[in-house]
Amino acid sequence: MAIYGLWVINKAGGLVYQRNFADGLAQLTSNEYLVLAGTLHGIHAITSRLSPIGSSSGAHVIEGESLKMTILLTATGTKFVLLTSLAETSADAVLQKAYEAYSDAVMKNPFYTPEMPIRSEGFDLRISTLIGDGRTS
Amino acid sequence: MTIYSLYIYDRHCECVYYQDWHRTKRPKQAIEGNIFPGVSRAVAPYTSDMNMVAQSPRNTLLSNTGVIIAVNEEPPPSSSLHNAPAPPPQSSTGLPFDEEAKLVYGVILSLRNMIRKLSGKDEQFVNYRTSAYKLHVYETASGYKFVMLGDPNGDSLRFLLRQIYIGPFLEYVVRNPLATMDSRERGIDNEYFRASIDRLVRGLSVFP
Repeated sequence: MAIYGLWVINKAGGLVYQRNFADGLAQLTSNEYLVLAGTLHGIHAITSRLSPIGSSSGAHVIEGESLKMTILLTATGTKFVLLTSLAETSADAVLQKAYEAYSDAVMKNPFYTPEMPIRSEGFDLRISTLIGDGRTS
Repeated sequence: MTIYSLYIYDRHCECVYYQDWHRTKRPKQAIEGNIFPGVSRAVAPYTSDMNMVAQSPRNTLLSNTGVIIAVNEEPPPSSSLHNAPAPPPQSSTGLPFDEEAKLVYGVILSLRNMIRKLSGKDEQFVNYRTSAYKLHVYETASGYKFVMLGDPNGDSLRFLLRQIYIGPFLEYVVRNPLATMDSRERGIDNEYFRASIDRLVRGLSVFP
């Protein structure tokens, strides 16, 4: 089981934080990550409209053959996306903790401009202690 | 656990078949010209010239001697064997069917590309889940995409999509000399195919 990466996407679909942990995925350029995050933002909005029965949330878990993406949509519209191996079970808990770290280390920081890329040592440190090198037993 | 709907797309990105079971929120009738004939009678646009279709040159039998049901011609409304009558457009909510079908295709295509790019390998997108439903995809080597919407907490339905492909699809579409595959102007709907899928889905232990 492994955690490959964490993305934070602002409410407009821009990627404001991206970090890789365990190896296993393709190495992409930051531009490619920006495009993927924008696409995911759009897909997330569409999936909530495709519901066959009444109202639905957007996509919560997206699975491939060996990786999955777990998406946490916060009340403010910021999305936390965790890329993990298929068998990883701690994704929801890790995302919740990442959101807490974001609230504490980013949103309470008076020098941070909302919706802008996150460059905060405090946040980096908290994410490092939370996820480490991405290898989870 | 339940199953809501099934879409089949061909390799030209066109929706060629649609069927649904327990949808409470049905799509509106498609706008004429935006979907092929022979996709699903339940969502086909209303046409005033239904009788004209029954006299198509392919129908060589007289209409009072029998009904051709192995062909995906639209029979006159009275000869419908299996389909529930289409609901009137004002009773259904949500998007028109043609727009919904395009959105579904757009989502699976984007997600497929995203998974492929992230993994760096030729990896397939398998499914995604929201609070209300789970969407499963099975793509054949010939580029047909089978998409099924089901219960959010259910297991993978890929085996079922594969069964639909190797069972009804091969039997009543690929081996059917009257069905037009890859025509880019018709769907693949016919009575045998529809009834056979219906039997397969309703026979599942997961189907209530």
